Amino acid sequence: MDELEAAVVKLLADVDAVALFSPSASEYERFTDDDGVEVLVVGRENTVDSPAFVELPLEFADVRDRIRYGLEGAMEANLVDEGDTLACLLSVFSSDIDAVFRVRVGESVHVGIYGLFMNSRAEPNVIRDVLELVIELGRKGQKGEPVGALFVVGDAGKVMNKSRPLSYNPFEKSHVNVGDSIVNVMLKEFSRLDGAFVISDSGKIVSAYRYLEPSAEGIDIPKGLGTRHMAAAAISRDTNAVAIVLSESDGLVRAFKGGELLLELDPEAY
Amino acid sequence: MAAVSELLAQVPPQLALAAGIVVIGLVLGYLVNRVNRRLLTRAGVPEAVEGTAFERTVRSIGSSTVAIIAELSMWFIVAIAVLAALSVANIAYLERFLAAVAGLLPRLFVAAIVLIVGVVVADKVALMVSEGLKGVKVPQVGILPTAARYTVIYVAVLIALAQVGVVTSALLVLLSAYVIAIIVFGSLAFRDLLASGAAGLYLLLSQPYGIGDEVAIGDDRGIVQEVTVFVTRIDTDGAELVVPNRQVFQHGVVRFRSD
Repeated sequence: MDELEAAVVKLLADVDAVALFSPSASEYERFTDDDGVEVLVVGRENTVDSPAFVELPLEFADVRDRIRYGLEGAMEANLVDEGDTLACLLSVFSSDIDAVFRVRVGESVHVGIYGLFMNSRAEPNVIRDVLELVIELGRKGQKGEPVGALFVVGDAGKVMNKSRPLSYNPFEKSHVNVGDSIVNVMLKEFSRLDGAFVISDSGKIVSAYRYLEPSAEGIDIPKGLGTRHMAAAAISRDTNAVAIVLSESDGLVRAFKGGELLLELDPEAY
Repeated sequence: MAAVSELLAQVPPQLALAAGIVVIGLVLGYLVNRVNRRLLTRAGVPEAVEGTAFERTVRSIGSSTVAIIAELSMWFIVAIAVLAALSVANIAYLERFLAAVAGLLPRLFVAAIVLIVGVVVADKVALMVSEGLKGVKVPQVGILPTAARYTVIYVAVLIALAQVGVVTSALLVLLSAYVIAIIVFGSLAFRDLLASGAAGLYLLLSQPYGIGDEVAIGDDRGIVQEVTVFVTRIDTDGAELVVPNRQVFQHGVVRFRSD
């Protein structure tokens, strides 16, 4: 058992702060009563009223994404500095905290997931709504069949000028927002249409059936992804929009910003 | 036994009738109390008044808004019965006094109800206003819910006083001055916002330009990014212009063809 203890001690040696992911009130209290260690709370809601708090837009199923988002948010709010070492306490399998990660804040965790939500042109809750919609679409599919879809969120004026209609726009003169409850059903029906959905900064669905015409020169996305992903990466570089893709072939949800693939989610995990 | 019946025979019939009326009044009042309680509960009053200061206060003395209103209706009926009984008993010197009280009683009842409803509604309004202003984290806005509460209470007191027949013209003048001040200042402060909102409604309904169109509103030229009720956001090179919709009607819009 000595080896095990030594490993745990090494894991927790000179950490600068503790990041609690969705702690219960009693867990949080135990850590704040213990002086000499900074406590940072990451979660969907600040249920414990912690002064140092990073809000998760969705409960990332991938633990790495969850930690990255939390730490990037903490860096953005100057709660931690580059080079700090953090102990991240999470619940992975049960609802209690059952995992500890030792993470050094630096380039390796900074991939821009936080910026994808918070520093994009579109409002953070609009991006979250679209992601949730796409995850739902990926999980259920269209009448059981897997579907592909492409949503371009934000900077809609520029996106519209870099694309052309494939057919009549079903959202012409409508006032539909991605947050509306009817949208789930509606978009599921419309997702069999070819082309992209264009969504404005405030979440209004501007158009469906858009053929995107960005210049794809110098776009570097993982090999094997198709034209839909290429178009998404290219439009996100040419404009200030975020492009969210549901792959028809592998069923994964990917988000692009500035031409880079920033987030990859498996809808089945949500 | 015989003594008792002799005693009963000596009681004048008016008095017996009066006693009967009082008893009937008590029973009727109790029934109304029960029925009212049921009706108010069924109508969802307990949920509606939950959380208001009035409900909290009456709860602390071991009662509830519904119970108070129901009991009030009971005492109203009992009081009427007692008055009726007294007049049947024909106690002459009370006649004039009774007539005055009987006239005042329903009004008192209505006044009490108006006051209770007023206080509850005031609390509810204050709650709603503070809920709506929750996102605004400026300490000064804390005065708005209080102002709304006392406005409603003031109006309720005014109605109640008018019911009982107190001269309220001075208070009424005060109220109208207050209302006029609110309207004048409100229309001054919100003039631009209202004008923009009206123009925005037209823009949203008829959509003379949409997202992605290149337009010029006055001197501001660029690509439309967003049309809301109050403003239109236009992107130019490196800058985002937030143009009040009012300007659309003042200057008109130029829409450039994209080809």
